[in-house]
Amino acid sequence: MFLAAFIPKQSDEASRDSTLLHRLLQRDMRAFEQLYDRHSRLVYGLVFRIVHQAGTAEEIVQDVFLQLWRNAARYDTSRGPFLPWLLTMARNRALDTLRLKSERQRRREDQTEELPAICAAPAFEQQLDDKRRVSQIRDLLTSLEPQQKRAIELAYFEGLSHTEIAETLKEPLGTVKSWIRNGLNRLREGLQSAT
Amino acid sequence: MSTTDQFGELLEAYALGALDAPERAALEAHLAGCAECTQAVAEARWLVSQLAYSAPDAAPSDMLRGRLLQIVRAEAASHRAVTPASKSPVPFWMWAAVAALLIAAVYSAWDARRLQNQVRDIHNRAVAELAKREKIEQELTEVRREATILADPASVKIALATNDPQLVPLQAQWHAALGIVVTGQKIPQPPSNRVLQLWLIPKAPGLKPIPSQLVRPDANGNFVLLVATPPEQMANTKALAVTEEPAGGSPQPTSTPKWVGAIT
Repeated sequence: MFLAAFIPKQSDEASRDSTLLHRLLQRDMRAFEQLYDRHSRLVYGLVFRIVHQAGTAEEIVQDVFLQLWRNAARYDTSRGPFLPWLLTMARNRALDTLRLKSERQRRREDQTEELPAICAAPAFEQQLDDKRRVSQIRDLLTSLEPQQKRAIELAYFEGLSHTEIAETLKEPLGTVKSWIRNGLNRLREGLQSAT
Repeated sequence: MSTTDQFGELLEAYALGALDAPERAALEAHLAGCAECTQAVAEARWLVSQLAYSAPDAAPSDMLRGRLLQIVRAEAASHRAVTPASKSPVPFWMWAAVAALLIAAVYSAWDARRLQNQVRDIHNRAVAELAKREKIEQELTEVRREATILADPASVKIALATNDPQLVPLQAQWHAALGIVVTGQKIPQPPSNRVLQLWLIPKAPGLKPIPSQLVRPDANGNFVLLVATPPEQMANTKALAVTEEPAGGSPQPTSTPKWVGAIT
């Protein structure tokens, strides 16, 4: 079962999610409420950043959490840590809303799946509370070259491909690929060195 | 360079969803037979998911929480109502009775399933209607608030002028208790990766502009922006300004204001 993968491990944060997800399987409404209170702000912030409309963002957040409530029993153990998976689902839904039925939608790997594919936390992962994680990720992104940061943001928040980013920024395709690859490598190294 | 090394360079971009179709197809064909790269893609997805933390902080409304819990509560109640009851034991020698009971049990199960489906359908329709009504009510509340701000003589009118001859001025009205409404007509849409952002310029010298909400004009160039809870009071604000910013907005203006209006 999916929930077994959430029974961890080292951190209080993941352990709290794991306990709540076990209770969610028993249709425990209070557990759902607590999961919502723990993560809705982060999920909403991400979705709002993508769709820019408060009403649309709330509809997507509602869909994401209802999906969690209705399909908890269908998750399997291979789906990895909970919060990255939830964020991936929220991002997919938000980008789907932006790109509904477009050619671009078919590019994304998870498009045909009702639930997103697995995320696997790397060995160096350090569990932090949301506030410290926000600070860490923002600092790391700020430390990137501005072009690297911009290219990564266009891909992540706008759902653009390499070619579309190159057209948007009026830069060679190879340069854009390097920016994204090197930027994400620096992000990984930054997270790794922080542990 | 091995095949795995060759594809290794694409894994993060794949997890990000940035690969163009030919590269994506080639990588997916490789992933089908490479456990090492499949694991690496899963880790890349984790890395990409961390970018969510860079989104500006924003909170959903309390109404969303209430609406969600209402739906979940109704579904939980429905789930409890349809939990099947246990069957009675049957003596082993009463084959005829067993057969009769089995038939009755099968019929009961079928009937219960049918009723269960009916209950679920009715419930789902009710929940959908309720959600729709609440959404309409929420929108109505916002429209009423905007209308009140625009109609109330207590609202302070602020004309946001522009130096650009291609643009028309914006109108704003600020009600001390209900917030700010900014309206624009025939406003050219910014590029797809840009938005308009409202700023409050503080009276106190040396203080930076305070960021407020984002908006994009519709296809006809119209918009109505409601700021229900302005980040600063009118008494402390010298002017309103609107700039064009990257999608998602900026903590500080990155371009010269297109419109500025003093609060008198």
